[in-house]
Amino acid sequence: MPICPVCEITYDSWDQVSDHMLKFVEKSEAKHVMWLNHNISIKSLNQKELSEKLEEFFSLNESLAMWIRRRFIERFYGTEPHPFMVAMQNPTKGVLLGYVLEHQHFLRNWVRILSTIIYRSEYDDVVRYELENMTTEFLGFEGKPSHYELLIRMGESLGLKRAEILSTPPLPATLSAIKTWKNIAETKGWVETMAAMHSLELVSDRSLIKDGATIPYFSPKILESNEYPDAVKNFLREGYEADLYHAGEALRLVEKYAKNPEIIQVIVLKSFDAFAKYLLSRLERGMMLDPLVKA
Amino acid sequence: MKIIVNGKEAGTKETGCAICGSDWGSYYAKVDGEELFFCCDICAKEFSNMIQEVKNRTNWNKIDEVNIRGNWSMGRHVMARSGVQRYYFYITFDEDGNIRTFKPE
Ligand SMILES: [Zn+2]
Repeated sequence: MPICPVCEITYDSWDQVSDHMLKFVEKSEAKHVMWLNHNISIKSLNQKELSEKLEEFFSLNESLAMWIRRRFIERFYGTEPHPFMVAMQNPTKGVLLGYVLEHQHFLRNWVRILSTIIYRSEYDDVVRYELENMTTEFLGFEGKPSHYELLIRMGESLGLKRAEILSTPPLPATLSAIKTWKNIAETKGWVETMAAMHSLELVSDRSLIKDGATIPYFSPKILESNEYPDAVKNFLREGYEADLYHAGEALRLVEKYAKNPEIIQVIVLKSFDAFAKYLLSRLERGMMLDPLVKA
Repeated sequence: MKIIVNGKEAGTKETGCAICGSDWGSYYAKVDGEELFFCCDICAKEFSNMIQEVKNRTNWNKIDEVNIRGNWSMGRHVMARSGVQRYYFYITFDEDGNIRTFKPE
């Protein structure tokens, strides 16, 4: 169903969505204007042009999962990749510490949100998938430390004390992103929540390169380099290997249970917006610790 | 004030929003005694906050030019000029248009 990506009201046609959005644009209403700026174009369009662009933007040529992948690449790994990923091609200590201090909050929130999916979904394949994800992210599995634990060890190897890491509150941009994800979990269905969260795991999916990503999440040279402590490599390697499976399998489940793809598309975009700001927050923390960190 | 956004002149309905370059909407605000075009109130607030912050940090009373590179998701690298003096910085904003990060470069 054609949908206003801001208000989430559904209409019978993209023409009607276009009318609706242009009415808000006339009033310079920030949310609609910004959505158009961020997703369609910064040059204004007339009613008909906008209607066509919206239809094209939301059309699922291949599949919902592929649509999400392509938008993720566009947003984070396009011709101008996100500055955090650029910084990760050759990360300084400040960049990595910024990663640790902000990401611990992301991961703690992560499992809480996933638990709401478990609570609300009646499908065992979904529950099993989420439990497994939470285990590897937060608890550890078969004697292997969790992603969360590996993150803290990375911070320790770079000179921070565990207690220092754990007691550092998130920066405002991290907190605001977390609020967005909590809000999605509390007000949207579990399929939408699943899509919003697990599409973010695409960030370290190496196979994005074959679909057009211009750079990887981090330079794989780091994994071989002597410049970085083992704990840094252990943390990065874990994501490098896990998320390939994580995001792909979650999006398959989303596709399987999605009743209304348009609402999922809209929620995923909101999650991407939050993620972009959150990634900047990691750099912002890095800047506070190390004058060499640049955005 | 001469305004360049990602390589293009901006600040009027024809040239686009003084901070993001977009020509959707029609929101006007007076900044530094000049009527400028913005696509929405948040952009206007971001621009005014940015100008005020530069003035506070430099003690300039007039800004002749701002050259902005970047966007909402990357943050923005800016050169501000007053006469022959130049000031370079990186800036990001929160959802309400307040300054989140400001770092001289
Ligand atoms: Zn604007």
